[in-house]
Amino acid sequence: MTTIDPDTVKVILATDCGSTTTKAILIQFVDGQYRQTHRGEAPTSVEEPFADVTIGVINAVTEVAELADRKLVDADGRIIQPAKGNAGCDLYISTSSAGGGLQMLVAGVVRQMTAESAKRAALGAGAIVMDVIASNDERRPHDQIQRIRELRPDMILISGGTDGGTTTHVVQIAELIAPAKPQPRFGSDYRMPIIYAGNAKAASLIEDVFDDTVDLAIVENLRPVLERENLGPARDKIHDVFLEHVMAHAPGYDKLMSWVDAPIMPTPGAVGNILQTIAERQSINAVGVDIGGATTDVFSVFGGTFNRTVSANLGMSYSISNVCAEATMPNILRWVHFDMDERELRNRVKNKMIRPTTIPQTIEALVFEQAVAREALRLAYQQHKEFATTLKGVQQQRTVGDTFSQQTGGQTIVDSMKLDLIVGSGGVLSHAPRMHQTALMLIDAFQPEGITRLAKDSIFMMPHLGVLAQVHPKAAMEVFDRDCLIYLGTCVASVGPAKAGRTSFEYAITGDTLNESGEMCWGDLKLLALGQQETARITLTPARGVDVGGGPGKRVEQTVHGGTVGLVLDARGRPLVLGDAPEVERWVNALDLYPQMAAMV
Amino acid sequence: MKFPMNGWFVALLCGTATAQTPYPPAPPTNLVAVDHGWDAATKIDLSWDLSADDAEQVRSYQVLKAVGRIGDVTIEPDFKPVESVDPGTAEFRVKDLKAQLKRWEVEQEYGDNEAIAALLADGSKSFKIGYVFQVVAMGKDGSRSATQTASPITPTMQIFDGSRFWFSVMTFIFCGAVIAFIYLARSGMPLKIRKIAGLDAVDEAVGRATEMGRSVMFIVGIQDMNDIQTIAGINILARVARTAAEYDAKIEVPTSRALVMATARETVQSAFLKAGRPEAYNEDLIYYVTDEQFGFVAYLQGMMVREKPAACFYMGSFFAESLILAETGNSIGAIQIAGTAQPAQLPFFVAACDYTLIGEEFFAASAYLTGSPEELGSLKGQDVGKLVVAAILIAGVLMSTMAAILGPDQGIGKSLVDAVKYLKDVILT
Repeated sequence: MTTIDPDTVKVILATDCGSTTTKAILIQFVDGQYRQTHRGEAPTSVEEPFADVTIGVINAVTEVAELADRKLVDADGRIIQPAKGNAGCDLYISTSSAGGGLQMLVAGVVRQMTAESAKRAALGAGAIVMDVIASNDERRPHDQIQRIRELRPDMILISGGTDGGTTTHVVQIAELIAPAKPQPRFGSDYRMPIIYAGNAKAASLIEDVFDDTVDLAIVENLRPVLERENLGPARDKIHDVFLEHVMAHAPGYDKLMSWVDAPIMPTPGAVGNILQTIAERQSINAVGVDIGGATTDVFSVFGGTFNRTVSANLGMSYSISNVCAEATMPNILRWVHFDMDERELRNRVKNKMIRPTTIPQTIEALVFEQAVAREALRLAYQQHKEFATTLKGVQQQRTVGDTFSQQTGGQTIVDSMKLDLIVGSGGVLSHAPRMHQTALMLIDAFQPEGITRLAKDSIFMMPHLGVLAQVHPKAAMEVFDRDCLIYLGTCVASVGPAKAGRTSFEYAITGDTLNESGEMCWGDLKLLALGQQETARITLTPARGVDVGGGPGKRVEQTVHGGTVGLVLDARGRPLVLGDAPEVERWVNALDLYPQMAAMV
Repeated sequence: MKFPMNGWFVALLCGTATAQTPYPPAPPTNLVAVDHGWDAATKIDLSWDLSADDAEQVRSYQVLKAVGRIGDVTIEPDFKPVESVDPGTAEFRVKDLKAQLKRWEVEQEYGDNEAIAALLADGSKSFKIGYVFQVVAMGKDGSRSATQTASPITPTMQIFDGSRFWFSVMTFIFCGAVIAFIYLARSGMPLKIRKIAGLDAVDEAVGRATEMGRSVMFIVGIQDMNDIQTIAGINILARVARTAAEYDAKIEVPTSRALVMATARETVQSAFLKAGRPEAYNEDLIYYVTDEQFGFVAYLQGMMVREKPAACFYMGSFFAESLILAETGNSIGAIQIAGTAQPAQLPFFVAACDYTLIGEEFFAASAYLTGSPEELGSLKGQDVGKLVVAAILIAGVLMSTMAAILGPDQGIGKSLVDAVKYLKDVILT
């Protein structure tokens, strides 16, 4: 790969090879700033009969070229580099989740400690974790070996033991994997990559356990002491192995790798990368979600700590029945504000299972789908909270003052009150007919507390920008700010002892376009118009014991940003307890979610 | 002129004569003795009409008691004082009576009496007693009124003891709550128990030892098996040992009592068996050190510094050694979980350990860890009992405070004082 001089880069081409669609975007230096100008897409061609990922890439890029009226592909079917006049691009980057993305098996000694750190490293690198093998996973060794044999991961990550800690358990795990002889997903001639990131003292013993049938790489311990994680080396190695082994053996990827100017990243890894960059640069805590057909990815950055979870069975098409099973029908029906019985709901779920790729054709179908989305997002966020925790197994230092307030390790670091930004992406959020629907889905599912900004990634550009941020951060930031996110507005939510009809908080807003004051009673939801690029100063005076971000009963004064939806004042309480259908209808009407339906009534 | 002087003189003489000769107050009248209801034949209630001189002359009323009848035989009563009560008092409850005398008691005390000897001849093993009571008004000048005697009466036993009525109510509430909660738990109703960080951290502590390749050390206090805290400690040991077996970690249990060692061995072996790893059990790791308190502590301290266990559990009865152990454990970087019901040792454990089970938490550990419906139900039932007692205490404190504010001698204040007295003497006795 060539060295990039950021100052000379004026045209950037980025592709994301998804399982079904390959998306391409063109970023150009226009009027002194980088802007995303065109986008195109084409079916992914990694499967037979094409079995060459570059065909889909070229098709998507060709569409972009036509729209941009710029020649990007030469006669040999290669991307033209560097840019000259009205042809070519200076920088070409790509991400990939084609063929199921990066699938990994991870192993550690104690499930809640080194095995969890290994899982965190794999997920952070953008992988899907197929299973976690641990000494205490309550499976007998033969069951564990059987499971390893059944799975066909792209690579295996072994961790376990602090440096100087246990060697017995780590070697035992290696001795489960070695005889199981796991087979890789791609390429029969390819040796299974195994990354060892455990107790340094056990490294030589691990080398003795494995023979030449695997490609063993040893990196720094990802948990050198229980008090600290060191995920960087393991993540970097996962990326390297992903490129060297997995990508190299996937159809057409060798060609694609020769075209790109930066290493191909797994799509979720790239999304995590851009979210971390944004959180770091703006000093905020952020949560991102990508709800797909089969899975839902949740990313978070709290206090600089990045976490990612993949809820493999929560999605809007292939996994819709699982969402209904996990959430239960009454929980889905509670979001439906008109008369719909469980039988009708079940019929809709079955239809969606038979035809997963259909999109809602009626308002009722839309309401149903968005109800399911709320539950899928809620469950995924709940799983994320349980995973994004402080480290377990850490010695605590106490004082006598802690007598009645002792807490175990492993508390979630996801604090909805400290959350500053929620970014939603995925079909059901990005393609909702009204932005208001997206905003309320995010509010209902994530239940932000205090003052939280809402945004959506309309064309799922974050993966492209994630890779771009590694080679050209300035361009990535500029495009992110101007074109990637569509800010929906800001949600102001109160937390406290909710009593119906009583005042939750009073507000006074002053701004160029919005000047209003009033009070919110428990159960109220209100939308105030505050447009894109607009800001206002809001003063919140909560009732006694109510928290709007400054602490119970404390007044808060802050600048809030507008968006396509506006400023949402939410006094429904946290956790959100849903009342009957008329109450939900009142909330729906407050945000004017389904105006067509209101017109029909 | 002479007469007045003589009259004065006579009057003075008469007055002097009156002061020197005691003038007994009028006796109390209508003395009635009735059996006290709902008791175990131990009380007789006496009531009488006050002496006509009650206000002026009576210093007290003396109650006297005597045995007046044994079986059907009437005997000469030998009255002995029971109690003196203040003037103005017209009733008294005589307690600690017996309804019957054993044969040997009758023989011993009344064997000389011919009629009694005849009574004894019929071979009965016990004989009913008839009591006779007298009340005498005692004058302020030391004089005694004429006696008032009640008819002989025998206390009778009822099925229920009325003084224990509130006790039975409490028993029904407490036992009923326990049974109800056990029933609810069995029927599948989830019973919420507050999180006890120290018990939740067991996995974490054993996990730490596993990852670090070090041992788990468990101390069951320094008392023997007759101490309830040692038993509670053994309960927790079962759970820790099972976790250690599941994690394939080494668990070491030094003890200061031979019997505790034997119990601990059984417990740990059983835990390893339940975890499906009986082969991993090593009884040599559960051993007796010494009964000597500081000899035991010195051994533990040395072992901790040498072997650096990654997790230390102190569950049981501890005394001066608590701080020594906890500080040593802290200095070697171990996760430490302590549990004791010794209030004096709790501050040391809290300050030096990662987690501490305080008193009740320590005893609730078994139910918390096993989650069995019986144990959870009884735990919740006991909580109801504590709640009731706490509510009564709060009510008593509030009533006493109100009485003090309003004045305890009259009106509502007096009623509140009476209510508190009833609460204290009847309900809580």
